[in-house]
Amino acid sequence: MINKLTKSLGALALAAGISTIAPQGANAQDTVKVGVLHSLSGPMAISETSLRDVLLFTFDEINAEGGVAGKKIEPVIVDGASNWPLFAEKAKQLLEQDKCAVVFGCWTSVSRKSVLPVFEKNNGLLFYPVQYEGEEESKNVFYTAEAVNQQATPSIDYLLAQGKKKFYLLGSDYVYPQTTNLVLLEYLLSKGVPLENIGGGFKKDESGKIISAGKYTPFGHTDYQQIIAEIKQFSAGGKACVVSTLNGDTNVPFFKEYAAAGLTAEKCPVVSFSISEDEFRALPAKQLVGQLGCWTYFQSIKTPANKKFVDDFQGWLKATTVDGVKKEGRVTCSPMVLSYNGVYLWKAAVEKAGSFEVDKVREALQAGISFDGPGGKVTSQKNMHLTKNVFIGETKADGQFKILKEYKNVFGEPWLKGTFKPKTAAK
Amino acid sequence: MRKFLCAVILLVLCASGIAESPKEVISKTVLLEDSEEQAKRVGALSGANPEELIALLNKWKEGGIFIVENADGTKVAVTLDEDKDAEDKQTARRLDTGAVFGRVVAADITTAETDSTLRLAMKSVLDLAELSSPDLKRRLQAIETMGSEQDPERLPALLAWQAKETHSRAKRAIQEAIALIQLKDESDDVKIAACKTLGELGSIPSQDFLKTTAKEANEAGKAALVTAANGALKDIAGHVTFVNTAGTAFRGLSLGSILLVVAIGLAITFGLMGVINMAHGEMIAIGAYTTYVVQCVFGPGLELSPFGINIKLPGMNATDWLYDSYFIIALPLSFLAAALGGLALERGIIRFLYRRPLESLLATWGVSLVLQQLFRLTFGANNVQVSSPSWLSGNWTVNDVLFGWNRVFVIVFAIAIVWGVTMLLKKTPLGLLIRAVMQNRQMAACMGVRTERVNMLTFALGSGLAGLAGAFISQIGNVGPSLGQLYIVDSFMTVVVGGVGNIIGTVISALGIGLLDQSLQQILGNPVLGKILVLAGIILFLQWKPAGLFVTKSRSLES
Repeated sequence: MINKLTKSLGALALAAGISTIAPQGANAQDTVKVGVLHSLSGPMAISETSLRDVLLFTFDEINAEGGVAGKKIEPVIVDGASNWPLFAEKAKQLLEQDKCAVVFGCWTSVSRKSVLPVFEKNNGLLFYPVQYEGEEESKNVFYTAEAVNQQATPSIDYLLAQGKKKFYLLGSDYVYPQTTNLVLLEYLLSKGVPLENIGGGFKKDESGKIISAGKYTPFGHTDYQQIIAEIKQFSAGGKACVVSTLNGDTNVPFFKEYAAAGLTAEKCPVVSFSISEDEFRALPAKQLVGQLGCWTYFQSIKTPANKKFVDDFQGWLKATTVDGVKKEGRVTCSPMVLSYNGVYLWKAAVEKAGSFEVDKVREALQAGISFDGPGGKVTSQKNMHLTKNVFIGETKADGQFKILKEYKNVFGEPWLKGTFKPKTAAK
Repeated sequence: MRKFLCAVILLVLCASGIAESPKEVISKTVLLEDSEEQAKRVGALSGANPEELIALLNKWKEGGIFIVENADGTKVAVTLDEDKDAEDKQTARRLDTGAVFGRVVAADITTAETDSTLRLAMKSVLDLAELSSPDLKRRLQAIETMGSEQDPERLPALLAWQAKETHSRAKRAIQEAIALIQLKDESDDVKIAACKTLGELGSIPSQDFLKTTAKEANEAGKAALVTAANGALKDIAGHVTFVNTAGTAFRGLSLGSILLVVAIGLAITFGLMGVINMAHGEMIAIGAYTTYVVQCVFGPGLELSPFGINIKLPGMNATDWLYDSYFIIALPLSFLAAALGGLALERGIIRFLYRRPLESLLATWGVSLVLQQLFRLTFGANNVQVSSPSWLSGNWTVNDVLFGWNRVFVIVFAIAIVWGVTMLLKKTPLGLLIRAVMQNRQMAACMGVRTERVNMLTFALGSGLAGLAGAFISQIGNVGPSLGQLYIVDSFMTVVVGGVGNIIGTVISALGIGLLDQSLQQILGNPVLGKILVLAGIILFLQWKPAGLFVTKSRSLES
C-alpha cells in the first residue's frame, strides 16, 4: 500500500517537474518568464481567476506586437489555492526556481503580507492590483491597487457633498476593513462630522484611544437582522448612509435584509468598496439598484480606449483555448484593469531601463511612467503607487455602474493614518 | 406664506373645475419674461391630477421644455420626442395641445430657463402635489422629507393637509413633521410644545433634532427648553428600549424558527433513526437548488451542462403574481427532490450501516463531499441568485417594531412543519410504525413490521424536511455549493441540545438558542461575541446534561 503511494507520489512529482521544465525547451533566449500568482481554487478563486484571465489576455496582446524589449512573455502560472502559506511557497518557487522577472498576483491583503518577505529576500518585483488598506510600502511591491485615498475618502467626499451627515461603518472582520475604517474615522472627524454621528460602535483600549471603529461580521455570516434594525434606527432622522467593506457573499443576506426592512438607496445609500462589476454577477442586482460604488475604473466608462479594451478582451475570451476560462457573462472591473495597466507599466519600465533587472526596472518606475489605460491615464509614483482617476458610480439593474462623479489624477497615498487632524471647531 | 394658503385654496377651487388645466397654464407661463410673475403663476398651480403636474414641473426644472417661434413670430412652448435621427433632429410637440410642431435640432432652440425664485415656487407646489398623492407610501415619504428639512415655509402646507388627511399613519407622520418644523420656531413656547409632542409620539427620527435643540438651548441658557428637550429625549429613549426589546424577541423567534426548520429533518434522521447524517446539509442545498430551478423555469429558463450534457429548461417568462407564485410551487418540489435524494442515499448506503454508526458518519460525510462537487459541476462554483417573491420582501411596521414578511413567514412555516410532523408521528398508521421501529427495530420486525420500508420512508421524510428548509433559506441567504456546510453544525447543535429522539426538545432548544443569540447580540452589540457565548454555553450545558434537554425514556437495553 505504502509502496504504491510513494510510487504514485513519485510519478506526480515527476509530472510536476516536467510541466515546469517543458516550456524552457522553447527558445529560452527570446522569452522572458513572468509569474502569475493567483488563487485558481478555493473560495477566492471566483474573483482571482478573472485576474489570471486578463493577465493572459494582456500577455497575448503584448506578444502579438513583438513582446517586451523584443522578448516574448512566457507566463508561469501557479495556484495559490486561497491558502496564504501556500502563496509564500509558490512565490518562492516563482522567484528562486523559475527566476521570473516579475510577478503579477495576490488579491487578499493577507496573501500579500504572506509573500512580502519572500519578495524582499529575493529582491523580486510584485505587481499588486486590488484595493487595499495602505500602511505599507515595500520596494519590492508595485501597488497598482487603489489606496484608501483613491477609493474610501473620495466616497466620503461625495457623500458629504450630497448632504449626508451620519455614517454607519460596516465591514467583514479582517485587516482591510478594520484599517480602512480607522482611517475613515479620522477622516470623518477631520471633516467636522461629530463622533456621535458615526455608527457601528467603537472599541477602545485602556487609555480610551479608539482601536476599532464600526461593526464587523465574520465571513459567511448570514443573520443581519439585528444590524439592519440598528441601521434603521440610525438612519431614521435622515441624511444617513452606510459605508460598507463587507466582502463576498455576505452581501447577499445583508442586502436582502436591507430591502426587507424598507431601507432604500434614496433614504440611506450604501457605498460598498468590495463590490465591482465582477462581484456584482453573483448578487441580486434588483436589490442593489441605486447603491454606490467607488473604483478607479468602471466598464461603463465611455472612451475609445475602454471600448477597445472591453471588445478585445471579449474577443480573446471567445478565441482562447486556455483550460478553465469561463466564456459567458464576463465583465471587466477595476482589479482587472489595474492588472492590465500593471503589465504595460512594467513593459514600459523595462524598455526605458533597457534591462529586466528588478533594481533598474524599479528605478524607471519610480521616475514616473505614464500609460493610457482603459480608465484614463495612470502615472507611476516614487512611492510605488499610481496616480489615477477615481470614479463614483451608481449600480444599475444590468450589473453595470452609472458614473456620477470623476476625480481626476488622484495621487496614491499609502500612509494616511494620523494625517487627518480633527477639526478644532467641531464640538 | 400667503402664497401657500393661496395654493391650498386654489387646490380646492381647482377640484371643482374652475381653473385651466396645468398644461395650459404652464405653456403660457413658460413664455413670460418676468420671473416673479412666473413664480406667482406657478405658485398658484395645482391640479386634480398631481402626477401630471409633478411630471410637467420636473420636466421644466430639468430643461425638458423648449421655446420655439411660429412663422408669425409668436412663441410656443414645446417638448421634444425621443426620436433623434442622423441629423440630430427631433419631433417637437406643442405643450398645451400635444400637436406636432415640426422637426427641430435641440441645440438650436431655446430651453425654458428657471431661476431660484421660480424653482422655490415650483418646489412648494411639488411638495403639495406630493402630499396629495393617492399613494400612501409617497405621501409618507413627502411628509418625512418635509419634517427632516425643518423648513418653516412648508408648515402651512402641512397644516393645511393635516385637516384633510384620513390615514392614521400619515396623520401621525404629519404631526411628527409639524412638531419637527416647530422646533425651529422663534417662540420658545412653541418649541417646548413641539418637544412635548415629539416625546409623546416617541418619535425616533427626531432624536438628532432634539439633541441639537437641547444643545442650542443650553448655550443660550434657556433652562425650560433644555428640560423639555431632554424630557422628550428620555421619553423617546424609553420607546427605543421597548422597540429593541420587542424587536429582539421577534428576531430571536425568527432565528429560532430557522434553526428549527433546518434541524427538524435531522431530528428525524439522527434523533429518531440514530443515523449520523453528515449529508443533511446537502439535502438542504438540494431544496435550495430546486427552488432556484423552479424560479428559472417561471422566469427566463435555464441552461445547465453537467458532465458535458446540455440540459435546456424552457422558461415561462411569467410576470407579476404568476412569477411571485413560483415559491408556492417550489416548496413541495423541494420536499420531493430532497426526499428522493434521501431515498437514494438510504437505499444505496445507509441501509447497510444501521448497526455501524461511526461508519455511517464517514460514509455520509463522503456523500456530502460528492454532492457538493455535483452542485459545483451542475450549477457552477458561484452562488446562484434566487430572488424573493414580492410578498416575502416587505415588512409590517407596528409602533416602530419591524416585522419582516420573510421572518413572519418562517415562524408560521415552522409552526406548520412541527404541527405536520407531530400529527404524522402521532395520528397516522405510518407514524405508529415509525415510532415502533425506532424504539426497537428487532422487536418491530418480529411483529411483522416491514422495517426496511419504514426506515426508507422515515429517512426520506427527514431529508424532505431538510429540502423544505433549503427552499426557505434560499429566500434569506446565499445559494451555493457549500450552502449545506453553513447549517450542518447548527442543525446538530439544535438536535443534541434538545435531546436526541425528541421533536419537542428540538423545538424548545431551537427557540432557546435563537432568543439567546439575538439577546446577546443586542446587549453586546457584537454579532461574533454573542455566537461565541452561545456556543460556550452549549458546551457547558452538555457537560451538565449530556443527553440534552429532554431525555427519551426507554426500556430497551442498549440505552
